[in-house]
Parts: sequence; C-alpha cells; structure tokens
Amino acid sequence: MSMGEAHRRITEYLNRFSDAISSQDGATFKSLFALSSNSPFLLSLGDALNLFQDPNRLIKQSDNYSQFADILVPLFRSLLNYRQNNLLEAYNAFEKTANAFIQEFRNWESAWALEALYVIVYDIRVLAEKADKELASNGKSPEKLKGAGSVLMKFFGTLAGKGSKRVGALYVTCQLFKIYFKLGTVHLCRSVIRSIETARIFDFEEFPKRDKVTYMYYTGRLEVFNENFPAADYKLSYALKHCNPQSEANIRMILKHLIPVKLSIGILPKNSLLEKYNLLEYSKIVQALRRGDLRLLRCALQDHEDRFLRSGVYLVLEKLELQVYQRLVKKIYIIQKQKDPGRAHQVKLEVIVKALKWLEIDMDVDEVECIVAILIYKNLMKGYFAHKSKVVVLSKQDPFPKLNGKPVNS
Amino acid sequence: MEGGYGNRGSSFSQSRRGRGRGRGQRFPSNQSKVSSFAERGTPSSSSANRASASVISNTQEDDAQPSSNFVGTCPYMCPERERIQREKLRDLAIFERLHGNPGKSSPALAVKKFCRTISTKYVQASDMRPITVLEDTLNYLLSLLESKEHLFEVVHDFVFDRTRSIRQDITMQNIVNKKAIYMYEGMVKFHVVSHYKLWCSMSDPNTASLHHLNMEQLTKTLASLFNLYEANQNSNHVHENEAEFHSLYVLLHLGSYSQPMGEPLSLWFQRVSTPVLKSKEMCFARRILRSFRLGNYKDFFCTAAAQASYLQFCIMMPYINEVRVLALSCINFGGYKLHPYPLLDLSKLLFIKESDLESFCNHCGLETGTDESGNKLLPTKQTTFSHPKGGFQRYSFLGLQEYER
Repeated sequence: MSMGEAHRRITEYLNRFSDAISSQDGATFKSLFALSSNSPFLLSLGDALNLFQDPNRLIKQSDNYSQFADILVPLFRSLLNYRQNNLLEAYNAFEKTANAFIQEFRNWESAWALEALYVIVYDIRVLAEKADKELASNGKSPEKLKGAGSVLMKFFGTLAGKGSKRVGALYVTCQLFKIYFKLGTVHLCRSVIRSIETARIFDFEEFPKRDKVTYMYYTGRLEVFNENFPAADYKLSYALKHCNPQSEANIRMILKHLIPVKLSIGILPKNSLLEKYNLLEYSKIVQALRRGDLRLLRCALQDHEDRFLRSGVYLVLEKLELQVYQRLVKKIYIIQKQKDPGRAHQVKLEVIVKALKWLEIDMDVDEVECIVAILIYKNLMKGYFAHKSKVVVLSKQDPFPKLNGKPVNS
Repeated sequence: MEGGYGNRGSSFSQSRRGRGRGRGQRFPSNQSKVSSFAERGTPSSSSANRASASVISNTQEDDAQPSSNFVGTCPYMCPERERIQREKLRDLAIFERLHGNPGKSSPALAVKKFCRTISTKYVQASDMRPITVLEDTLNYLLSLLESKEHLFEVVHDFVFDRTRSIRQDITMQNIVNKKAIYMYEGMVKFHVVSHYKLWCSMSDPNTASLHHLNMEQLTKTLASLFNLYEANQNSNHVHENEAEFHSLYVLLHLGSYSQPMGEPLSLWFQRVSTPVLKSKEMCFARRILRSFRLGNYKDFFCTAAAQASYLQFCIMMPYINEVRVLALSCINFGGYKLHPYPLLDLSKLLFIKESDLESFCNHCGLETGTDESGNKLLPTKQTTFSHPKGGFQRYSFLGLQEYER
C-alpha cells in the first residue's frame, strides 16, 4: 500500500463517518465500529493506519471530524492495535471510544444511532474477553471484562430512561448478563432486572424479539439456580417459543435448562425430542423417572456428572430422586394390586428394602421409613407409616398425587 | 514462636481417625524452595503472578493497593512506630500489656492492628512485616486461642483484628506463594472454629453480631484461599488441604437457599476442578448436601457421624438441629396415630440423647408421653408442631461428641 493510498482510505473513513452522522444513516454508521467483524473495509483501514504515522492530523484537519475526535482518535488507535493483535491496547482504546460515543449519543435526540450502539456494546465485551486472555497469558490479572461491565452499566443508564432510546436497553442487559455469567457475579444481574421488570412506562413486549429471547433465557437460568421452577418454566418456555426455529443450537441451549425444570415439575419429554436436539444425556434420567429406577438415576448422574455440573443443572437433577422413590413405591403398589387388591394399599417397608436391593442400592428399613416419611410430608404419597409394624398404609384415594406442573412441596 | 501450629491436641490441630488433619499444620521441610516460588518476571512464574492479582482483587476488604515489589522490613509483630504511638494513646489490647500496664507493651506482645485505609504510597517498608515475621505472628496469635485465661470472645476479638492485618500485609506485598496458602489455611481454620464456638453461645446478642462478622471474614478469607490455590495450581496436582477447604464451602450452603457467598452454588460448581470434585472430602460434602436437600435425615446423620472432620463438623453443627426439626415434622405428620414413636428409636436416628430429645420435642411444640413400661413416646399427628423461633439450646450430636467442648 502506498502512502497516498493509506491517506485516501483514512480520509474515506472519516468522510463516511461525518456523512453518516449528518444524514443520520444508522446502517453506515454502525459498520464503522464493528472491529471484531473483521470487515475488509476496517482491516484495510487498519493497514493504512499502520503505514500512516499521524492519522490524528487528518482528524484535526476538518471541523467535521475534529468535533468527534474523542471518538475517532482512540478508535483509530484501537483499530491499529487490533490489527497488530495487541488486544489489551485495542480494548483500552476502544473503551475510550465507547465512553465518548455514549456522551454524543446522549445528546442526539432520536435513537437513530442505536444500531451503532449495539455494535459497540457487543464489541466491547468481545474485545474485553480477548484482552483478558492476553493478560492472563502474560501472568496478569484479567480484569477488563469486569471493566467492560461497568462501561455497559453506563450505557444501560443512558438507555433505561423513557423515550425512544429505551428500546435498546434490553440488548445492553443481555450483554451484561453474558459478562456476569462468565465472571460468576450473577448477583449483579439483579439491579438490571429490577429496572427492566418494574418499568411501567415501557411494555416488555415492545423490545426486539431477539433480545426478549436472550433475556428470558438468562433470567430463566437464574430462576433455575434459585430453584424457583414455575418462574424458570415460564421464562425458558417463553424463550423456546419465541426463539428462531432455524437456530437449533439456541433451541438446544434453552432445552438444556428447560428439561430439568420440566422434570422437576413432573413433565417428562418424549425421547424423540431428546434425539432431535442431541440431548441424550437426559434420556436415562427420564427413563429412571418412568421406571422408578434409582440405580439408573444415580448412574446417569454419575456418567454425565461433569456435563451437568458445568451447565449448572446437577443439583436440580439430583433432587429428582424423590420422584423416583415415588414411582418405585407406586410400582410395588400396582403389582400388589394385581395379586391381592384388598390389601394392596399396605406396603411393607421390607418390600421396598428388597426392591432397592435388586437395584443394588443398600438401604436399611430405617432409611426406607425416612424416605416414606418425606414422601408423605411432601405430598408425593398419601397415607401414613407405622413405625412398629414397619408398614406404610396408602390412602385409598389418589395415593400418589401427580405434580401436574407444580413443584414438589418444600 | 512455633506455638500454634505445632500444638497438637488443640482445637486447631485436631485430627481424627488418622485422616492426617494434622499434617497441614506444619510447614513442609522444603521451605527455602517455597520462598522463591513467586519470583516475578520469569516465565515459569506466570501462573503465580496471574493469580496474585486476582487474589488481591478479592481482598479489597482490606483496601490495600498491591505493589508488586514491595517487601517489608519490620522485624517485629508490630512496627515500632505503631507500638510507641499506641502505648502513648493507651490503645493496647489486654494481650499486649506488659505486666498488665495499659500504657506499656513490648515487641513480644504488641501486634500490628488492622487499619482500614492504607495505601502503599504512605507505607514505609519498616511498617510492613516480611513473610517470615508474618508466619511467626500468626503462630503466636493462634497459640493465644489455647489460653484458658480469657473468655473465647475476648481472644477472638483480638485474633480477628490482628489476622486481618496479617492478610493486609500479605496482600500489599503481593505474596502468593505456598507459605501464603498455609497462612490462609490457618486463618480460615480460625474463622471456622470460631464459627462453631460463637454459635454455641449465640443466646447472647453480642455474640450473635460477632458470629455474623466472623462469617463475613470466613467467606472472604476462604475466597482468597481459593484464589491462592488457583495461583499455585499446576496441572492435576491438588494441594494437601485444598479438597477439605472446598468441602467447607459446600457445607456453608446447607441452610435453605442460603447463599453466604452471594453466588449460587450451581454456578460455583462449574468452576471447581475435577480432581477436587472427586476428592473424598468433596464427595462427603456433596452427599451431605444431597441428603439435606432431599430431606433424607437418616443418611444425613449417619454420613455426618461417620465421616465429618473437625472443621466440617464446625460448619455443619448449626444446621444439625434444622435437620432434626425436619425429621420431627415428617414423623409427626406421617406417623400412624395409634402407634406413638418411641423416643429411644428416634434418638438413635437423630444422634441425640433421649433426655435431650424430649426437651427438643417440647421446644417444637410437641408433647411426649410414657407407656406402661416407662418407655418415652412421641405421639404423632400433633397439631401443635411449630418451628421454634430464636434457636435452640445446645444439644449434643452423639456421633461426634469428641469434637464438642
């Protein structure tokens, strides 16, 4: 590239920049910030900046550009460093651009530059992650993603008020969620959620669909952590229903968390669904619930322990054990009924001990009594147990109440 | 001042069933190697460096600004400048007074106080204690806990503050080596044992607030310890006590939906390394957690009695009565009305003395009775059951009495 060519490219960029602002051309404007998109236009600009020693001189040349110097000077520096793979420097400069941008954005009356804002919000997170990787590999503390979180909170504050810009608040929220989940600081989600959900002036449904889906996915996962299953069910089901049916990867991600929730409220998926979305790690668990097979449940949890722990659903799945016990006693009850309908509602604790022994689960009669007591207490079973005669007497009416979409009593 | 760590048979070095709890209390013999571990700037030390920063970011409680090449020179537990000033101000803790004189101390008695707002800008090397002095200081402080002379609350108050100042010195000098790990382990132990001891005297409202403050430092120190483990991590090696300290974190979550660390346990599990997850100590803690969450009181008590280490016991003890209450409510709710439950059987199930169980039941609003041969019984289906408010008196946990005192 010649010096003249470099000069030409930089000037072209600056012209596009000022033209986009003066004509409020959001589409062009947004393309000027998308560093991580690696667009040929920006890459070649990066090369030009590398060659051209003093691009700031060009910015200062015209009032059209120089009034946006606070955005442009660090943006050029960021682009140059990004091109040279200095990711920390690229991030630091981009953060300055972002801060200057939000200043300007605040002054623009309409939301014409919202698309550009989205690009910046996305890129600041992505660049921060890259910068953190670079920091960590140099033995330094990775802290840029945390920093990006603070910058985005500023963005959120600008958008969250009333007016036409509010429609962008949910996108920023979703990027914040991604940061907080990655950093393990999900308690920080709370204040953002409150601001989204309590706002009377803005109906949630007016946000863009894509953002609503992402938002419901993350808040649904938070509800899974809290074991608030009805809320988790609502949110994740919303995400599933509105998710683009073409994007199977996203559907799979939603199902990964929705299935444990559904299981917890007694709703079992068809095997074809698990097959279609390659979620076969759940098929043995579903089978265990159908069969009352405690061994199968424990094996499935063990086989996929790592996967379930990493996706954060392990503890929820572990709790399904109570439903498996319920199913097991119910099966014993059904078999007894076939043999002797008159006395079927009396189940000896020893029989349950024996059934568990077949499954190679070693439990004495005291522990079985304890399990039975819990099942009754949590209304998974109706009846009473007699400690002296070691028997559980089932209610003649509806001895094994179905959950029917409600969580187990706590 | 080898004191605290070496003292076997103390609550800090109690080991059980040959599980080697005591081993971690002595610094390993290759101490000299350890001190060069965190040398900066060499490529091999990068992992130590990395976490040094993250350790610091997690100890912001102490408001310390890290400075990578700051090394203290103070040879005493307390900088001379501070000691003289505090003598003048008569600001000496009981343990620091020479012959009980409130205005006179000595280098062997005074220990640097925790000071909230410190920045390296104004700190002189002579105010900062190097690692060897910090180790001695910690050993000295922990040895005070053996003293029978003073109320535990009094000793706790002193050690609580002075260990905080030790952490501040460690942070400000950016020490992230194995010695720092051993010291943090010692300090976490202090807070864990205190957690139990303070809980024992919770009826006093002052102690209740101490208990709360102690919990705060316990969680912070534990989080910093985890960062130190991470910093000194190499491939699949697990530090000697790493698994047990991780198990304590799990056990802290036994309360219903309690999140003492402000983060859901599920999210934390995502980050724990596989060797730690699979360790014996973690398997124990996870089993306890499972039983607790399922309500399987039988398994909960049996597992606890058979396997808990002393530190695990200290964390679990406050939850034991919670599980007993659950057991009582299950049995009262689902038991056959015509067969009252024998207290003897129940006491074995709940690892509680029969006489204690009677008072425990009464405390939950349940009446107890006696049959014709004098056996005590709990009639079921009583409608008066209530969750006791304001906690219980202490009831022994029969499986682990040797831990209680």
